[in-house]
Amino acid sequence: MGVAVLLKQVPDTTAKIGISGGRVDESSITKWSISPYDEYALENAIKLKESGHGDVVAITCGPARAAKCLTEAAAVGADRLIHILTESSLDSIQVQSLLSAAVKESGCDVVMCGKQAADTNSGSTGPGLASSLGFSCVGGVTGVSMEGDVASATRLGPSGLEEVEVGVPCVFTFDKGDTELRRPNVRGIMMAKKKPIDSLTPDDLGVDASNSKVSIKSHSSPPKKQPGQKFVGSESVPEVVNKLREEANVI
Amino acid sequence: MAYEALDFYDIDSLLTEEERMVRDMVRDWVEDRVLPNIEDACRDGVFPDEWRVEIGEMGILGAPLKGYGCPGLSYIAYGLICQELERGDSGVRSFASVQGSLAMYPIWDFGSEEQKEKYLPGMAKGDLVGCFGLTEPDYGSNPGDMITRAEDKGGHFLLNGAKMWITNGTIADLAVVWAKLEGEIRGFIVEKGDEGFSAPEMKGKHSLKASVTSELVFQDCKIPKDRILPDVKGLRGPFSCLNNARFGISWGAVGAAQSCFNSAREYALSRIQFGHPIASFQLVQNKLSWMLREITKGQLLAYHIGKKKDDGSWIPEQISLAKMNNVDMALEIARMSRDIHGANGILDEYPVMRHMANLESVKTYEGTHDIHNLILGRHITGIQSFTREP
Repeated sequence: MGVAVLLKQVPDTTAKIGISGGRVDESSITKWSISPYDEYALENAIKLKESGHGDVVAITCGPARAAKCLTEAAAVGADRLIHILTESSLDSIQVQSLLSAAVKESGCDVVMCGKQAADTNSGSTGPGLASSLGFSCVGGVTGVSMEGDVASATRLGPSGLEEVEVGVPCVFTFDKGDTELRRPNVRGIMMAKKKPIDSLTPDDLGVDASNSKVSIKSHSSPPKKQPGQKFVGSESVPEVVNKLREEANVI
Repeated sequence: MAYEALDFYDIDSLLTEEERMVRDMVRDWVEDRVLPNIEDACRDGVFPDEWRVEIGEMGILGAPLKGYGCPGLSYIAYGLICQELERGDSGVRSFASVQGSLAMYPIWDFGSEEQKEKYLPGMAKGDLVGCFGLTEPDYGSNPGDMITRAEDKGGHFLLNGAKMWITNGTIADLAVVWAKLEGEIRGFIVEKGDEGFSAPEMKGKHSLKASVTSELVFQDCKIPKDRILPDVKGLRGPFSCLNNARFGISWGAVGAAQSCFNSAREYALSRIQFGHPIASFQLVQNKLSWMLREITKGQLLAYHIGKKKDDGSWIPEQISLAKMNNVDMALEIARMSRDIHGANGILDEYPVMRHMANLESVKTYEGTHDIHNLILGRHITGIQSFTREP
């Protein structure tokens, strides 16, 4: 029983990303936030808890700064906080191994996370975790309710909303939908401050995090957008038509 | 573009995690709820009731007070709350200042146990709104000569007189009213619906339009004997409330200034004249750099007086300096920002003209700019110059 919610700390979607020496310069990022789809997972996990499905265990994997997203989760209602402390960059399989070890440790039978992270957008964590834990997996859901050991989830299907029924244990990855995120309040923030964070290393979890099979060789900024071109007066019509035909290939 | 608050000297690094979280919570709320609706609220001249509810739900009212359902945050956190609310609008910060510092605080500090139990938990949640009646039509900077009187009629008190410029007055469930009882200033709690009490709204403001401003009228207003604040006599009562409110204003003004600076910077970078962004011109850069300099100084003043409030080592004159300086700074920045925006600066598409008009009130209320100068003058010379009397 219980819901594990996986939270990834990412640069805020509004943060400016600087590149230095072929790498993202983390010191240039002024604001880190919980990846937005993970926030929907968190909100739904808390709703599930309120409907009686055990405690919410918030789990994050990342460097020391990532602890902030656990405290934020505690401020809106997460009960237990697990921080898998990692310093080097890990590939998806390693992250999934670490997270599944932590989920096992937590004893939760429902796992919720965003359908993809706002930084890497790979979307592999949920399905990968389900595979390594042997849990069922339903992707891209917008809401989940439970009746005993059976969960029903809503997701956007090809022809409208789909209601999916699935037995626990299972993993849900979340899409935005019309979920409204709750706001923290002062009482929650003050309680969160007192909530202990279980800090675990890969060694504690018995996972080898030393050899990534996949590594990022370099980062670079996307090419700068070309400035727009301005045409004035009717005499420029032939030129515009020519450009639309030859350069933009739209007519 | 997302809001990035000016923080040139990295005040952020001096805050506790709890303070940052409270600040971010209020900042997000202002972003989501105040900014999209503030111009309509101003045009309609209303303080939307859902803001009261949501501010109450966030649990930020009476921020530094402890016990009786109050948040018990640091003064720095209280300052940050004011800063973020006033980045939205001075009227929203005024609502919280009056509720927390002027209505809850005197009950918390000078009230009886029963009064605290009765009012504070509801006020902290925003379920009960309070206001503060000190200023009168003829007595603003000189409240000591107030006319409002209370008479002890044996079984009850009888209040007579009128108060003016009372924020939250018409929407308030209770008013903390200062009146003379046998020649001595005392605090009384008057409840909405008490016989002989009315609170008509003052209309026609060009400033703080999203804030309710009222008169309080007492015509043989009868209140029970247990509504007097037992633990304070004289001007010390209202003045201790004002110290807390002025402290909040010194932070709030920084928020308004940050908003004006941001808008000016963005506008200057995108506005092209003579083939170049106006931000590339030296006169504009000079203005932006002056704003940065003044806001940074104001932030440091606010932060330091916040630390002194937290450790109890402050004196009222230090709060006078911070209130006076920061509001003056914010008003100048609002004007300069309007100037950078050119004609666009008068439109409600940008926040600057609204902040400017608001700050004219903020400069005057809670001790006018000049009165704070006199407070400091007395501190420097030992000679009071408020009155001609020796």
